[in-house]
Amino acid sequence: MSASASAPRLRLDPRQPAVSVAGTTLVVLALGLLLELGGRAEWWDVIPPLSAMFQGVAGLVGDAQFWSDAYRTGLEVAVSLVFGSVFGLLAGITFWKLPAVGRAFEPYLVALYAVPLALFYPFMIVLVGINVWSVILLATAMAAIPMALNTAVGLASMRPVYTKLGRSLNLSPRQMLFAVALPAAGPYLVAGLRMALVYSLIGCVAMEFVTAQAGLGYRIRYLYEIFDDTGMYAYILVVLLISVALTVLLGLVERLILRGRISW
Amino acid sequence: MNDTGIQITDVGVRFPSPKGTVTAVENVTQHIPGGSFVSIVGPSGCGKSTLLAVIAGLQKPTSGGVRVHGREVTGPDRHIGFVFQEDSTLPWRNVEENVRFAMQMGGTPRAEQQRRAQEAIDLVGLSGFEHSYPSMLSGGMRQRVALARTLALEPNVVLMDEPFAALDQQTRIFLGAEVRQIWSRTHQTVVFVTHDIGEAILLSQQVWVMSYRPGTIIDVIDVDLPEQRDASIVSTHEFNELHNRIWTSLQAESMRGFQQEEMSA
Repeated sequence: MSASASAPRLRLDPRQPAVSVAGTTLVVLALGLLLELGGRAEWWDVIPPLSAMFQGVAGLVGDAQFWSDAYRTGLEVAVSLVFGSVFGLLAGITFWKLPAVGRAFEPYLVALYAVPLALFYPFMIVLVGINVWSVILLATAMAAIPMALNTAVGLASMRPVYTKLGRSLNLSPRQMLFAVALPAAGPYLVAGLRMALVYSLIGCVAMEFVTAQAGLGYRIRYLYEIFDDTGMYAYILVVLLISVALTVLLGLVERLILRGRISW
Repeated sequence: MNDTGIQITDVGVRFPSPKGTVTAVENVTQHIPGGSFVSIVGPSGCGKSTLLAVIAGLQKPTSGGVRVHGREVTGPDRHIGFVFQEDSTLPWRNVEENVRFAMQMGGTPRAEQQRRAQEAIDLVGLSGFEHSYPSMLSGGMRQRVALARTLALEPNVVLMDEPFAALDQQTRIFLGAEVRQIWSRTHQTVVFVTHDIGEAILLSQQVWVMSYRPGTIIDVIDVDLPEQRDASIVSTHEFNELHNRIWTSLQAESMRGFQQEEMSA
């Protein structure tokens, strides 16, 4: 690989991109191989071979039902991510601007953070019914909490010299917020956004499991109940692929927002 | 009335504290002629930064007032530039964007921003680093960026609050000499706060010595050294004489401050 050939002992530096990519590939391949062989040799009887799962996924491409479920889940995740991030951001800014409000509400948010909010599903159903809104509301709440906490912490930990700089330049409160405070909190906002994405995905799929009549989560439960494991695993694989894709996408956004601050 | 320069009249600053009122600055009356370079030295905690903040309009004096170019200081003013001790570069902006920041916030037209930013960047010796981000620069270079940001505003008055205190000795002397050179070209009115006597003599035309709390100006020393000077001046007899004179006034104050801090601790 890229380790120097003249060295007597092979040293692998995990910070080198080639080494890191090779390492990840190796792990993924090994796990894939295990799943495939284990499934074929029937070391276990619940999980089908990986190739069967992929075949199932390939079969989904022409399946109108799949696209309608994927569309529904995608919509729920997108809407709850956007609403959750915006509400979280606004809440975080409010906590920072009005420390008294922050002190009053933050402990509840921190406590709620540790609560599996999906528990509130009966309440949601009573409130809005078994429909797309019960899922979106809950996932929005789940996404908003880490975003709010991260925003508040990020703004509060801004270096005092930036406040002095803003004062010495006579900045308006608006300029102070948009040109100084929010960019200064950038790394925290990105971390908050990452968590908001993860939480809205978890929230949507989990709520679909329990309350919905459509969506990828609902379909997984449905296939489970009719004993179609290959179909179920194909859907699980799709959800995994979507979450990996979204994480990669967010990584790109992170690079864009934090350019210059971290050496890549 | 003096129309140019800075007129400080009977300025006093008192802060409430748990142990009663702390008088940071008291009875300071001084005049700085326009275009001159004045340094303030004093023991730590003597209120020199507070006095500078009053001149900048960042701190309201409890009594007295400051006039800059004939105008009463009532709050921060874009004609008064401030360079902080801490690194104040914005890590999400590259050098050029950092230098343009203050002008951008003040609504300077974009073409004008770019022209003045480039001039300031050249002036502080950062040409070629326009597109670097602060994380790639040394502490000394970041302070140059902050200085360029202030100079690009073309302020009448530049206030510097121990701008090189966090840097190593060599970088400090080097940057000090550059500030002096820049000043000899722009001739803005500069007030420079430092605790380094050598730095004060090297840079300025006049040095004020401030006492420990309550901070008053206890000595004003004119620096009769050649206009064109560099770091080699520190080995001259004249420099040493000035250094000794300032140190003598400062020593007693530093001791007094030290004892008071010990007692209250």
